[in-house]
Amino acid sequence: MKQYIAYALILGLVWSFVSGDISVLNFVIGSILGLLIVRSLEKLYRPDKDMTFRSITEHLPKLVVYFAVLLIEITKASVQMARIILSPRMDIRPGIVAVPIRATKDASITAIANTISLTPGTLTVDVSDDLTKLYVHAIDVSEPEALRHSIRDKLEKYVLEAFE
Amino acid sequence: MLSTVIEVASNIFFLIGILFVFVGMVGLLRLPDVYNRLHATTKIATLGAFGVMIAITVKTGFSTMGLKAIMVGIFLILTAPVAAHIIARAAHRSGTKLWTGSVADEYAEDCAAKKDELNCDPDKKL
Repeated sequence: MKQYIAYALILGLVWSFVSGDISVLNFVIGSILGLLIVRSLEKLYRPDKDMTFRSITEHLPKLVVYFAVLLIEITKASVQMARIILSPRMDIRPGIVAVPIRATKDASITAIANTISLTPGTLTVDVSDDLTKLYVHAIDVSEPEALRHSIRDKLEKYVLEAFE
Repeated sequence: MLSTVIEVASNIFFLIGILFVFVGMVGLLRLPDVYNRLHATTKIATLGAFGVMIAITVKTGFSTMGLKAIMVGIFLILTAPVAAHIIARAAHRSGTKLWTGSVADEYAEDCAAKKDELNCDPDKKL
């Protein structure tokens, strides 16, 4: 029951933002609608049974850190790409490399894949069937080992802390 | 005074956003193959659109429009990488070759090792 309420409150917040009116009444309406939706579509989405208010509050600071890192990385990525695009001789060595990942939960694999797509020079193409490797298209693979290393140590750390 | 500051800040964000969208479109034309072009559209265009959304929020404050702009920005960040991933995957599976200057394709190698004919041999598909 607890996780239904947690999901419903999140959906209520989204409802308030989308309808453009933050008030207690609107938030309550959104939460009630959210509860109905979460309850009726439960079979389609398999809500996380372990999700409780405590796990949310414990993860919240790390999620904030993760989003801050993500925003900085997106800005860096855009500046780097802009530099590559606007340089007269485009000196790129693209390719697809397999990057092993440690995450096991679906949510964290999704988060890592999306983070990789938004960070400098890398783009997720696919996940291997056994969910242990990501196939990453990189714009500069002169050093594949360094690329794997940077994804493992820089990005995956924050994602694992925030989602597992 | 404050309204001037807000106006200037919002215009600066707007200009930065438009500039990044423009560079993204130049990249779409200049880069060699579909995978490299996706790099330009996901990262730069996302930041550009996000900049425009921030400009709207700064200008109108937490009004109906400002709140919706925040939501649009968040949805863009959530959906742009998913779209890029699915386009790249579809392109690879339908047999689009990497640019001739590419140095590695471990995806095709692993695919071939699995003898996954439908997914990695474009001549035999369907």
